[in-house]
Amino acid sequence: MNKAEVEQKVKEITADVLNVDVAKITPRSTFTGDLGAESIQSIQLVAAYEEGFDIEMDEDEALSVKNVGDAIEFIHKVVQAQHG
Amino acid sequence: MKLVIFEDDCFENFYPLTYPRPIFELRCGALSLAAKVERQVGQKADAYLVRDYLVETFSARAGGAKVNDLSGIAPGEEVLFVNGRLLADKDWKAPKAPGAMGCQKSVSVWRTTADVRKIRSFADILAAAPADRGKCDATCFNWMWEVMLTSVEQIGRDFAAAGRSFVESELRPDVAVFGDRKNLAIHSDVDIHPFVVLDTRHGPITIESGSEVHPFTRIEGPCYVGPKCTLLGAKVREGCSFGPVCRVGGEVEESIIHGYSNKYHDGFLGHAYVCEWVNLGALTTNSDLKNDYGSVDVHVTGKLVASGSTKVGSFIGDHVKTSIGTLLNTGSVVGTFALLMAIGKPLPKFIPPFAWYLEGAISRGFGKQSLFDTAVTAMGRRKKVWTEADLRLYEHIYALTDEERKHYIKKDRRKLLGR
Repeated sequence: MNKAEVEQKVKEITADVLNVDVAKITPRSTFTGDLGAESIQSIQLVAAYEEGFDIEMDEDEALSVKNVGDAIEFIHKVVQAQHG
Repeated sequence: MKLVIFEDDCFENFYPLTYPRPIFELRCGALSLAAKVERQVGQKADAYLVRDYLVETFSARAGGAKVNDLSGIAPGEEVLFVNGRLLADKDWKAPKAPGAMGCQKSVSVWRTTADVRKIRSFADILAAAPADRGKCDATCFNWMWEVMLTSVEQIGRDFAAAGRSFVESELRPDVAVFGDRKNLAIHSDVDIHPFVVLDTRHGPITIESGSEVHPFTRIEGPCYVGPKCTLLGAKVREGCSFGPVCRVGGEVEESIIHGYSNKYHDGFLGHAYVCEWVNLGALTTNSDLKNDYGSVDVHVTGKLVASGSTKVGSFIGDHVKTSIGTLLNTGSVVGTFALLMAIGKPLPKFIPPFAWYLEGAISRGFGKQSLFDTAVTAMGRRKKVWTEADLRLYEHIYALTDEERKHYIKKDRRKLLGR
């Protein structure tokens, strides 16, 4: 999976969990400030990314990600490591 | 003679209670299992044998005794090995003659003059002890609920073994002693407020120094209240044992609270074993009896085991936190450091260590670092320090339980996402 595919899927999952318009999500969008994620939703986001990409993420690293762009970078790295 | 208390390989049947401590540190009655052995043998242990990862933290509590090191015991010197699962009741006497007792898989007691300097573990004991083992007449606990169920009677027997009753603190005239005052052991510096009932009709009550009993608390014997506890208008039903620095309110029955834990508010705790640094939120309640009065099943290392008892509450690991209104099912096992949020109905009977139970699903939540940060704060409030050794201990337990936790998190992932 290339980075563009990861980006598209991250945006779709994020839109689904946070119930926001996917078109409004940019790499610079912050989860809490721009997209309004509450604390439980950040945990749901991690779970949804893991399910969507069939990966397992380090919880501390995953929860330290603050915006969509960093999430794309992090998930792309994990996907590469776990699925090649 | 040298006394060595050891763990055999049954410790998993006592998880989560035995994740961060040797089995012989479990409380049963007024004392730990190790303290009972020492009382009956008449001397402190010279050495202990425990799982390797416990050595660092346990050594700090071992009172100068050697841990996993018998190199200082001279060949020819008499040594008494006692299994840490053994219940050294007040009538139990250590064997005087050399030889081993136990079964094929384990050793209960072994008295020997053999060279034991190289023994470092239970496996070494099993290999070195004579294969011809006599039957041991003492109870060796096999399951965690047995410790809790036996504790009730042991409180009275430990009181009898101590052999004296006394009231060293002022008992105000408006404190009611309902029953025989000879069933009281109230140590000095205990502050018992007005309108407290001490019901000694069915068993003795011991209250250790520094404890405070607030108005409208009713304590039924047998009961043991450890040092510096606070009872807050609690209904303490028969058979409770509280270790040091516990805060107890609401209704508690036939339960052990190991120490440094809070059950401050209303809510029922029955037939439970609660480890250290636990906080049970207001109205947290456990069931200890099934509606069909059947035997309670308990989750032990991935399987449900029939306890054979109709009265089994919950087993709550160290550093567990529950939200207000948490309802624990009959025979629940809550893993070390788990964090529980109520859902308005009983939770699953097993929550893995370090899991966050949120929105009705087992999850990673905010991760272990957040849990460790909370532990630092909670311990600081009781003037205790979360040490680097604690960190290493719990990191080890986290790694030990990783696969199990991942299994449950994955299983509940769709539930967490509301699908």
